[in-house]
Amino acid sequence: MNRALFRLSLACLVMFALLLINVNYVQAFESNSLASRPGNARTFDSQFQFQRGSIVADGTGGPATIAESLPVKGSTTGNTTFQRHYPNGPEYAPITGYDSIYGATGIEAAYSKYLAGTASSLTVHNLISLLSGKPKQGASVYLTVSPKAQEAAYHALLDDGGHQAGVVALNPSTGAILAMASDPSYDPNLLTTLDGTTLNKVDKQLLADPSQPLLNRAINETYPPGSSFKIITGSAGFSTGKVAGPQATISAPQPLRLPNGNFLNNDADESCFGGNPTVTEAFLLSCNTAFANIGMKVGGPTLQSYANKFGWNDSNLTIPMQVSPSVIPRITDPSFTAMSSIGQFDDQVTPLQEAMDAAAIANHGTVMKPYLLKYVQAPDLTQLAATTPSVLSQAVSSKVASDVGSMMVQVTQNPNGTAYQTAGPPAVGTSLVIAGKTGTAENTVSGAGLDDAVFTCFAPANNPQIAVGVIVKGGGFGADAAAPIAVKIIEAYLGVH
Amino acid sequence: MTALSRPATTRPSADAAVPLPRGRRRTELLMLAFAVGVVLFAYASVGFGLNGKLPAGLAEYGLAFAVIVLIAHLAVRRFAPWADPLMLPLAALLNGLGIVMIYRLQESGRNGNPGIQISTISSSTTTSQVLFSALGVAAFVAVLVFIREVKVLQRYTYTLGVVGLVLLAIPAVPGMPNSTVPGTGAKIQIGIGGFTVQPEQFAELALAVFFAGYLVAKRDVLSLAGRRFLGIDLPRARDLGPVLIAWGASLLVLVFESDIGTSALFFGLFVAMLYIATQRTSWLLIGVLLFVFGAYVASKLFSHVGERFTSWLHPWAGNNPTHIAYQTVQGLEGLGYGGVLGAGLGHGQPFWTPLVQSDFIVTAFGEELGLTGLMAMLLIFGLVVERGLRSAVGVRDPFAKLLAGGLAFAIALQVFIIVGGVTNLIPLTGITTPFLSQGGSSLVATWALIALLMRISDTARRPAPQPIQDEGMTQVVRAG
Repeated sequence: MNRALFRLSLACLVMFALLLINVNYVQAFESNSLASRPGNARTFDSQFQFQRGSIVADGTGGPATIAESLPVKGSTTGNTTFQRHYPNGPEYAPITGYDSIYGATGIEAAYSKYLAGTASSLTVHNLISLLSGKPKQGASVYLTVSPKAQEAAYHALLDDGGHQAGVVALNPSTGAILAMASDPSYDPNLLTTLDGTTLNKVDKQLLADPSQPLLNRAINETYPPGSSFKIITGSAGFSTGKVAGPQATISAPQPLRLPNGNFLNNDADESCFGGNPTVTEAFLLSCNTAFANIGMKVGGPTLQSYANKFGWNDSNLTIPMQVSPSVIPRITDPSFTAMSSIGQFDDQVTPLQEAMDAAAIANHGTVMKPYLLKYVQAPDLTQLAATTPSVLSQAVSSKVASDVGSMMVQVTQNPNGTAYQTAGPPAVGTSLVIAGKTGTAENTVSGAGLDDAVFTCFAPANNPQIAVGVIVKGGGFGADAAAPIAVKIIEAYLGVH
Repeated sequence: MTALSRPATTRPSADAAVPLPRGRRRTELLMLAFAVGVVLFAYASVGFGLNGKLPAGLAEYGLAFAVIVLIAHLAVRRFAPWADPLMLPLAALLNGLGIVMIYRLQESGRNGNPGIQISTISSSTTTSQVLFSALGVAAFVAVLVFIREVKVLQRYTYTLGVVGLVLLAIPAVPGMPNSTVPGTGAKIQIGIGGFTVQPEQFAELALAVFFAGYLVAKRDVLSLAGRRFLGIDLPRARDLGPVLIAWGASLLVLVFESDIGTSALFFGLFVAMLYIATQRTSWLLIGVLLFVFGAYVASKLFSHVGERFTSWLHPWAGNNPTHIAYQTVQGLEGLGYGGVLGAGLGHGQPFWTPLVQSDFIVTAFGEELGLTGLMAMLLIFGLVVERGLRSAVGVRDPFAKLLAGGLAFAIALQVFIIVGGVTNLIPLTGITTPFLSQGGSSLVATWALIALLMRISDTARRPAPQPIQDEGMTQVVRAG
């Protein structure tokens, strides 16, 4: 029987070896991924035992701390615990997100590793604080957001008469996000309670709210772009050579009979410079029939490929939060292409994409990848990670960008321009020149009665510092509802009034 | 490897001056002192970890534990002087660490300590566990006192077989009070007075004796070869009876008591002992095939078995982490939180894991002592098994050999099933972790099991009676 016993002891050896290998796998190799798994009660709870890093808006007008951990007395233990605090909660909520005991969103989730101090680049630092007996502390995340622009953006949205709206402001030459606001917003401070029952209640209320305050309208809600899409249609026309240039004339009948027999009208069925305008005239008056003609000349698939170069249809874009893709479908039917080229049909866009469109024109046709992270700073003040601006794509040539840019200037500077009254000299004076495009989109989708108001722009026109995309759901005319919001942000950011 | 198969007892011949194997009781005492030291240190560490102070009851618990252990040592000195010197210290260390962890879990959220109070632990749980340890050592001493040779148990082979089955079946009898373990679906206990007893813990011992007695008697028949198939000698069909009965019985345990772990443990024990007795690999294969088949059918027939498979394969999928795999996930996250060096006693958050004081206690050790501590504890279990198998190899009597081999393997299998289950190596089945889990039945039964192994090792290591050296005297008588 000894031979069998020997074999059985080998079996025991194998069983113990398997157990040892498995615990090594779980505790040594998987340890970090288990710890950083969202919903891990232990790491979430231990976060409240030490000071999580701050989130700082470090753009123009900053730095301003927008999320920090403050010591509170633990109710059950008497030990010091930390609770998250958001000084300007609703204003920055689309950026910070929240960090609750059940999970996190926004920057809190995306850079949780740094904020919680579990990133591998913080290992040495953590070891040193452990050995020197210092309390563990998370790294701070510095963002590109400009407190000036953000404040203006949020308050402009609040003052728009209760419409739902989203806005994004970018630095056109880097892609740095200067402001990102959404209305209605929520107060992330309500979600930082350490009491699970209270948190559940607040969470349920927010989720049940029909105005969807948790939705980040700047990047996660799409609207029909309306006439603002004419920037892309015009760019495609110039780039393909189907339209010679801004001074070329283009047929703009009222109405335009489409190949499928339907009629396409200009806004308010108005005539467009007698039906034979230059492209610039058609652009500043926003004539639908002219750009429908340009779209049909370019063709649906080519139009889509130009939109894609501006960043449309990109479902992988992160800033680091996931951005919902702006959609322009691939259309071969010329009648539908006509509709699509004036931002109707199935076109859908986020405020971020609107800002990216203007930024591309402002930045000589180069689309920069939008980003929020400026740098990460360890508690010992060393810099751990920083964003280097990167090119997303070259949408159009510098020449085409300059041509489209000059047309956008006419929108605000020509007395006939759609945004002359709200973003031109009567509104901002003559020292500041904003280049923009209005959009007023029929929103059969949102069914809010009034049209969605869109405005996309950059300023100053001759030396672009900021590009803004605004969409106000059910706001009415883009020039009336959306342009003033963009103007407020630009003025605040550039410091001109 | 050759060392393992060499008999432990070196028989000194009359003329060679071979030193007698020493009992090594002094080694045992030294190791015991070390074990008690580790346990006291760990206990103090819990207090410092929780609130920076020496824990209450250090002197009382420490003294009680030391006395219990000392009594066990004295009993070994008196009744099993040749027994293996490592087993008792290893058992005492595991038992002590178990008490320390239960105290740590009891204090979570109590008496101003950080953490969340665990509802399934009362403020007297540690005291009970110390009392159970005393009871366990009493059982240990009783076995050593009353069973001077394991061979006597062979006489009660069938009696103990019946006793084992009855013990196993009691909780399944309809109308038994408190038969379901709170927080689980397992019907494996009965309420007696204010206490609950899990008879299956004792059934394991009785059945191991029964298997050993039965197999020693029948092993010649059972090892007869029938057909040859794929190079393996299959046993004769008519000899399949016992293995099928054991299989059926373990399935019945599963169906009526919803206790997959115990069912697997008993069947594994039987197959292993069948293999030791007959040395036929075919029995192992048949056993494994029957088990896999049974497990598969059970997973299809019973939703709770199926759920265990799902949570084993896909613990992170969908809403599994918050539903069927919640316990597994909490255990794994605890292990991950501990990492290589552990959070430190009192610094972890084992209270998140349901039933952390019983089935999942290993994850609490992993969380607070880290990979390092958990590996050390697994190695301690490994050493206990190794010492048991060593005794089996050393003892000559086939019944004792079979019993020791079976009992040692039972510990290994039990540790594998529960530790493998909570670390998600194999599907989770709730059984107790020997010596560590909270609960008296398991502790008493495991101490009795260790006593049986030590009794067998005492037999194995006992030197042969000294030859009488007075031949010269008899030569005085001369003829004429």
